[in-house]
Amino acid sequence: MHCKDLTEKLDDYMDGGLDQATAEAIASHAGTCETCRAVIERARELRGLLGDYPVPQAQAGFYDRALVRATHKGGRRQRNRWLLSGFGSAVAAGLAAWVIFGLLPDVPQTPDALASIPGVTIALEEERTINLVFASATALDGATLTLSLPDGIELAGFPGQREITWTTSLKAGRNLLPLTLVALTPTGGELIAHLQHNERNRTFRLRVDVS
Amino acid sequence: MSNAEQNLNFERIVRPHFDRLYRLAWRLTGNKAEAEDLFQELLVKAYGLLDDLVAIEEPGSWLSRVMYNLFVDQHRRYTRQRMHLVDEGHLPGAGLADLAGDLDPVTDIERLENLMRLDAALGQLSEEHRLIVLLHDTEGYKLKEIQDITGVPVGTIKSRLHRARARLRDILSPDGTFS
Repeated sequence: MHCKDLTEKLDDYMDGGLDQATAEAIASHAGTCETCRAVIERARELRGLLGDYPVPQAQAGFYDRALVRATHKGGRRQRNRWLLSGFGSAVAAGLAAWVIFGLLPDVPQTPDALASIPGVTIALEEERTINLVFASATALDGATLTLSLPDGIELAGFPGQREITWTTSLKAGRNLLPLTLVALTPTGGELIAHLQHNERNRTFRLRVDVS
Repeated sequence: MSNAEQNLNFERIVRPHFDRLYRLAWRLTGNKAEAEDLFQELLVKAYGLLDDLVAIEEPGSWLSRVMYNLFVDQHRRYTRQRMHLVDEGHLPGAGLADLAGDLDPVTDIERLENLMRLDAALGQLSEEHRLIVLLHDTEGYKLKEIQDITGVPVGTIKSRLHRARARLRDILSPDGTFS
């Protein structure tokens, strides 16, 4: 058994798909080869991570409701959408950019995360819908969300307003805020969303470039 | 058969497979909203095909295949568009947002961080590779089952699985270690 043989047979070895003699040869080789032992260990760790990758349980009553909808005439329902209150009218048809902000509590933002500000590019004087998704581990009732727009960027329906504040509630999970932006000048800049809930604050930045 | 009897018959056939189908919907779509939509669309379609369904020996496999085809028909284009426009892999925790209910971020930070890293790494795989590795290594589907669901030959699935695992190992442990 050589290192190259082990690499080629690694998947089958991990899946238990090798005959006993080959599997024993691999185990024996790994016993004397530190590099191959590390390769197997990495594969085991990856398998452990994947096996631990969770899926939430369906909410109580979801199956029953789905059955009722399916078995009744006109069973199709409206598709799931989480719309933060106050901006339903901002939903626009057509291509939209999506930007996701994580709100997982008590997990500090890393310098890398802080440095990598997501960005979108919009065309001058053309409306473009940007879907901001606020992902929260817990429900946040009565949160205050403040949007600060860069110069030359306006929110459709709010002409001339640089800062817009409203109170809303976030559900646990993903909350969608569609914003229809229009660039009046080619400058661009940073759109800042500031979320406050009780004593906690979180600021999200989105770079808006204008083409 | 009355409507009530028909509904009961439908439920008797499909309900035993709900948990597995719900998980499959999650693996296909990656989020709760689309998973619930896909699950619902499957039930609506299956109910319309009840005459066929009652004659099928393995309704679980049939339902999984129908769900996959629904996903391909109705969701893939949307998902590709979204994944193209949103580089979720660069946004910490983005793909785990809907999993928050299963995590205890206060006492299990290390696990959460590992899952976030895995989530980000999975986000860098192609859709085909991500699905194969999730179905096989996370959900425990056998290669033949994945072939039955997706219509992709076992040889191709095995090859994708091999490449997906290798890529994940490279992403997660470029220096040879995970931690």
